[in-house]
Amino acid sequence: MNTETERTTGTLSGEHTLVARGLKKSYAGFEAVRGVDFRVSGGECFGFLGPNGAGKTTTMKMIYGAVIPTGGELTVAGLDVYHHEREIKRRIGVVPQENNLDDELKVEENLLIYGRYYDLPRKLVLRRAEELLDFMQLSEKAEATVEQLSGGMKRRLLIARALLNDPEIVVLDEPTTGLDPQARLLVWDRLRELTAEGKTLILTTHYMEEAARLCDRLVIMEGGLIIAEGTPGALVEEHVSPQVLEFRTDHRSLEELVPIIEAASDAVERTGDESILAYTEDADALLERVRGSGAKIENTVYRQAGLEDVFLRLTGRRLVE
Amino acid sequence: MGTIRIPSARGSFRVWQRNITIFRKYWKSILFPNFVEPLLYLVALGLGLGAFIQQGGINGQPYVQFVAPGLLASNAMFAASFESTFNTFVKLKIDKIYDAIITTPVNAEDVVGGEYLWAGTRAALYGTAFLATIVVLGIVFGQPLVTSWWALLLPLMLLVIGVMFSVMGTLFTSLIERIDLYAYYFTLVVTPLFLLSGVFFPVDDFPAPVPQVAWFTPLYHAVNVCRELATGPSPAVLADIAWILVFTSVLALIPVQIMRRRLIG
Repeated sequence: MNTETERTTGTLSGEHTLVARGLKKSYAGFEAVRGVDFRVSGGECFGFLGPNGAGKTTTMKMIYGAVIPTGGELTVAGLDVYHHEREIKRRIGVVPQENNLDDELKVEENLLIYGRYYDLPRKLVLRRAEELLDFMQLSEKAEATVEQLSGGMKRRLLIARALLNDPEIVVLDEPTTGLDPQARLLVWDRLRELTAEGKTLILTTHYMEEAARLCDRLVIMEGGLIIAEGTPGALVEEHVSPQVLEFRTDHRSLEELVPIIEAASDAVERTGDESILAYTEDADALLERVRGSGAKIENTVYRQAGLEDVFLRLTGRRLVE
Repeated sequence: MGTIRIPSARGSFRVWQRNITIFRKYWKSILFPNFVEPLLYLVALGLGLGAFIQQGGINGQPYVQFVAPGLLASNAMFAASFESTFNTFVKLKIDKIYDAIITTPVNAEDVVGGEYLWAGTRAALYGTAFLATIVVLGIVFGQPLVTSWWALLLPLMLLVIGVMFSVMGTLFTSLIERIDLYAYYFTLVVTPLFLLSGVFFPVDDFPAPVPQVAWFTPLYHAVNVCRELATGPSPAVLADIAWILVFTSVLALIPVQIMRRRLIG
């Protein structure tokens, strides 16, 4: 039907393609998302970071219509999610957190069936399926059933499937969870190609390296709220000192060291009974002070502060489930 | 929110199409049990038990001829019930197939509409194969089991009957969280209907309130329709068809709303 004619290739850069204002979702007795605001421009890669249960997946689902907000506004590709369910779904692609491929069907058949949901002509779907399987390096598996694929291949097939309708916006909920390093690099590379083509990517991840490499901008969520927002570089600059020293020693010595380190650095994070992270502007000075104290240190690691440090700083070290 | 959702024809058709694509790959391996089971009943009861009900048969009809169309109706009930219970549950909760579908322009309500149509189609396909078999058996044994050209309408009616039982099964599916609860549905709903809806003996000849109670149950009307079409209908068949259509349309939108709420948070 109206598949080819109204498709726009990418979105004008700078135009807001996704806007949320005071967006909320509550279930009986539980607020999953407690009023979030964000704006995503066309062609941007925008990330959602946060511990499990922070509200990331609920936010993703509100974008693709699997969860209906209980408050606030959300427009996707300029369309209000409350009134344009089908139209929005026609223009976005979704990579869900859980594999929901048709296991008994062949790889290519999965794409053919999916193409029908968009009313795409069979010829076009066949051509796009071939291109996308090639793009995700699955061409050799076109005739295999999904059951025969490895976890990483299924994940790549989910990405190929999400691109079948040539979406303006692709929503990816933890696209690389469970992938081996090679597959992860392939996915990163492909996602960067998509943004270069002008597609807007919205992704959630637990991997700080992934967020730092892929995202133009990102937000950190916790407890249903956005607690920080910015480019990866700006977030690091704003929230943590640039240099990090990690000290490792036995438990007893560490207890003695903690007051010295705390006094000499901008901030510390205990990472266990036998290790501590110290954030500072001047690592050499800190190291000298600690060594001067005469306390026993088994191991010291120096590095530049990164997104992981911001994340730990803002969301705390305790395990959130 | 709050508005009643009605499945779209386009979306329902796409879901139906998905199911038939998968069925076309597997129909040979699953046809056998679906097909042999009613045949076993026909042989065991129609010929076995029927041998003891020789004199006059039932209302002048040979017993095997009486039982055959009833089995046609109950076969449609079983086909649609399995489809809308176990098969639907697996797609809903285990394989998460519906979660994938509803991220496309096919909505949650279309999923349910498509499943109704598919269950009806499957009931009609199996039923038609069974119908062809009893026609042939009748000719081979010189005891025609189907005696009216009206029987050509049976595949269409089996589709309608299948949709009716799909609506019932989907209603139960939409309410449960665990697959083992289907034991209740089959033991308390499907099996009693199978045994007490006039498939094996004429319920109408029993004293009140048996026929009156039977009137309120779906398979009773389905059996009446199949029997009448197989042997030449009386105008009374229109009342049974009307009952089926009214019951199905009154109930059909309820599982649609509940399933939508399960799929969309």
